[in-house]
Amino acid sequence: MNLLDVRNLSIELQSANNPILAVDRVSLSMKEGEVRGLVGESGSGKSLLAQAIMGVLDERWKVDADRFHWRGVDILRLPVDERKKIIAKDVAMIFQEPMSCLDPTATIGEQLEEAVDDELLHGFFWQKRQQRKMAATKLLHKVGIKHHEVCTKSYAHQLNEALCQRVMIAMALAGRPLLLIADEPTAAMESTNQGQIFRLLASLNQLKNMSILLISHDLETVTHWTNTITVMYSGQFVEAGTTEQIFNQPYHPYTRALVDSSPKANMKIPAKSRLMALPGSIPILQHLPIGCRLGPRCPRAQKQCVHAPKVTNYHGHQVSCHYSLKGTY
Amino acid sequence: MLLFSLRRLNLLLFTILLLTLLSFSLSYLFPGDPLINITGRVLATPEQLEVLRQQYAFDQSVIEQYWSYLVHIANGDLGVSMSSHIAISTEVLSVMPATIELTITALIIAMFFGVPIGFIAAIKHKKTTDNIILAVAMLGYSIPVFWLGLLAILVFSIQLGWLPSAGQISLLYEIKYVTGIQLFDIMLSDSEYKWQAFQDASSHIILPACVIALAPATIFVRIARTAMMEVLESSYIRAANSKGLTFKQIIYRHAIRNASVKVVRHIGLQFANLVTIAMVTEMIFNWPGIGRWLIESIYQRDYTAIQGGLLILSSFIFIVHIITDFIYAALNPIARDTHYGS
Amino acid sequence: MARDKIYQEEEFPSPLLQLWHNFRQNPVVMIGFGCFIFLVVLAIFSPLLTPYSPIESHLDSLLLPPAWSDDGNISFLLGTDNLGRDILSRIMSGASLTFGISFIVVIISMFIGVVIGSISALTKGIKSSFLNHFLDVILSIPSLLLAIIIVAILGPGLENTLWAIVMVLIPQFVHITRNAVTEEFAKDYVLASKLDGAGSMRLLIYSIFPNIIEKIISQATLAQSAAILDIAALGFLGLGAPIPLPEWGAMLKNGIDLFYIAPWTVYMPGLAILFAVVATNLVGEGMRHALKLRKES
Repeated sequence: MNLLDVRNLSIELQSANNPILAVDRVSLSMKEGEVRGLVGESGSGKSLLAQAIMGVLDERWKVDADRFHWRGVDILRLPVDERKKIIAKDVAMIFQEPMSCLDPTATIGEQLEEAVDDELLHGFFWQKRQQRKMAATKLLHKVGIKHHEVCTKSYAHQLNEALCQRVMIAMALAGRPLLLIADEPTAAMESTNQGQIFRLLASLNQLKNMSILLISHDLETVTHWTNTITVMYSGQFVEAGTTEQIFNQPYHPYTRALVDSSPKANMKIPAKSRLMALPGSIPILQHLPIGCRLGPRCPRAQKQCVHAPKVTNYHGHQVSCHYSLKGTY
Repeated sequence: MLLFSLRRLNLLLFTILLLTLLSFSLSYLFPGDPLINITGRVLATPEQLEVLRQQYAFDQSVIEQYWSYLVHIANGDLGVSMSSHIAISTEVLSVMPATIELTITALIIAMFFGVPIGFIAAIKHKKTTDNIILAVAMLGYSIPVFWLGLLAILVFSIQLGWLPSAGQISLLYEIKYVTGIQLFDIMLSDSEYKWQAFQDASSHIILPACVIALAPATIFVRIARTAMMEVLESSYIRAANSKGLTFKQIIYRHAIRNASVKVVRHIGLQFANLVTIAMVTEMIFNWPGIGRWLIESIYQRDYTAIQGGLLILSSFIFIVHIITDFIYAALNPIARDTHYGS
Repeated sequence: MARDKIYQEEEFPSPLLQLWHNFRQNPVVMIGFGCFIFLVVLAIFSPLLTPYSPIESHLDSLLLPPAWSDDGNISFLLGTDNLGRDILSRIMSGASLTFGISFIVVIISMFIGVVIGSISALTKGIKSSFLNHFLDVILSIPSLLLAIIIVAILGPGLENTLWAIVMVLIPQFVHITRNAVTEEFAKDYVLASKLDGAGSMRLLIYSIFPNIIEKIISQATLAQSAAILDIAALGFLGLGAPIPLPEWGAMLKNGIDLFYIAPWTVYMPGLAILFAVVATNLVGEGMRHALKLRKES
């Protein structure tokens, strides 16, 4: 059974003169224990999608979906409070720039203790306090922070980004989530620290069978750590499949371009030749092209492309393109 | 934290030094003989003046004059009043506590009402509540305080007769001078009419304190509202939201603390404004404080008193400023670690 | 004939125009702006518009209540004071004193403050540090006390009030200009034009001023409301405009003794001050809001 099954989810920005469809019918499914990458340029709506799943978008955004199942329960039909309760219990999220996501005036220890699930505690309140402290220490150990005494007494600005991200992960683990959404967890981080965070996530996935939705703009890094990948462009679904399928045999021209623009995938190209890149840049939200939004930039675009393509499924490899590259391999 | 305290004390000393420089130069700027301006001895005979000239080093260079002025101030000698011929330090000591009492009460009232209302406005952002609060706040800090004071007297003292309109306490009560702050003195005294005196004194302070508090309170509303809105938009609130905390929990556990820290930062700056308002209000309510004393000194062209009053009042404001800085640093861990004072 | 627009083109209005568009959105702010313009017009043309001379006594009609009261007289719309002077005329010509002078005061002190502020932003080291602390000290002295002291030095009178308030307001402008210029100097576009070989003066005039002018103007509206209140306060304390002049604060002071028998002599000038300050604050508020909107878009 799928952990998460979202079909045709749309997110609309409500504004006075013209509503903007920021995310246009995107589907996403996650199995238990799966690590899925969600890849797209900045502004492609991947963070919005994650926030819509968490249910933390404010009232300016309107979320619609054909299906939104969490462990077989259609939670779109539930009242908002209940939906938030279920999601908050089973899904946790970590953000980019972890330092700004920690309360600057509270110590790390206080914030960790706040995150500890009340159900784990028993006894009177003075016992609970002690247990809370123990639980917080344990959480820190789980994310590989050995000097918990120093860490719990520190404030966010006294730690570095990678440590803050570990603390964020520790807090996320406090609720023993089934799914962890990591929204560009390593943006603006040094590469050694990036590796640490990704390794930590991978080990959590293997040891606790926790599913991870890894959001990133960098296809190349994501391929190292994920089983499956979903690609988005400008709020539209592009392609989804296993990491090998996406990286070795992309069906969509956009994914092709992404792979081609990565130097690692193109080790064989002759020296000093140019890397492939799409012309133009991602359209702004106020002026989206009709039909397939990649249209104006796509090398394979034809007349048909002014109509949005349907998703075609080739043995689990889904692609949304009229002129997919399937035949060329 | 030690470094922080040292820096702040350093700043305080430097500021007071600058203030003395300012008040010293005033004796040259005011009309009349600088020596008489600085000592206030208008009735001195030529022989006495000669002695003073030596004492204040007025036969030497300006730098030495300033130095001897500093020495006099350090010994608590601010000269004598030109009109009453009493030492300025004695006069200031008798009027300053009343002003401290009034301004601190007003500050507490302003914060007690202003800050929570500002938070409510921010939480109800873009709703009717917010707009009403903003409109009232705008009216509040636009009202000229002397007009407001007059209207308050007309309504509460004359038409309704609820509160007395002038003075600090009814003349019937005799309170021994201990700290000078009336409400404390009453508590310390062993008079059998203690409670009646306390009631009387507090009914005297309510009206002027509220009149003073109105404008700062509305400014606190705005500051608190901006601070709260900034906090509510920050990433850690979003993160707390996705952790599944309810809105109430977020507000009480994270938002209020962080927003309050930002508000505390502005208290020191607002205090100078509050004292300005208090000066006028003291005139209207006949409050025996330093503001009224200063303004009356101007009417009598008592330049020595103006110099001394400026020095004391500004130092008081700056000390409050530094105290709020300390409170800010105690509440905000980031400020503690930065080494440079702002 | 206006050309039809066929293409949906992205049009970017100039920053000032954009500011005006945002400013115009809010009807309350526009009302405030209208009142502000009205006050400016009144300040300039009040000698032509007043029904009577502001210092002319009508001895046959002393302490007349406003026209809507039973004992009122329609020829004195807002009543008269104890010397039989028409309050409406006095308030109208008071606009050119209280409001008009505050306007001039703000312009003068803005000019001086911006010049000093930009020079101080360009200096470094001990001079700049001293100036900074000196400004802090000045800003920590209550503005009214400072004005009173300057009046004590210069002697009372309307002109001296003007200079006193100019001097009180200068530090605020120095402070804000200095901070804004230093902040702007740290930005990369200034560095870019510095690398192109632009000198400090050129940088200030062509790169920095266009970007901080709005901040200064919004400070100017704040300063103006403070100036109105301070001029009125000085007048109220008897240190500002001399007796016969219809300055609003002085009128209020004049009315205190008559408060219980003729409350309108206190209500009217107070309302006039309130009106002027609210109009100024509304304009400033709208301006800051428009600036914020522009920054966000």
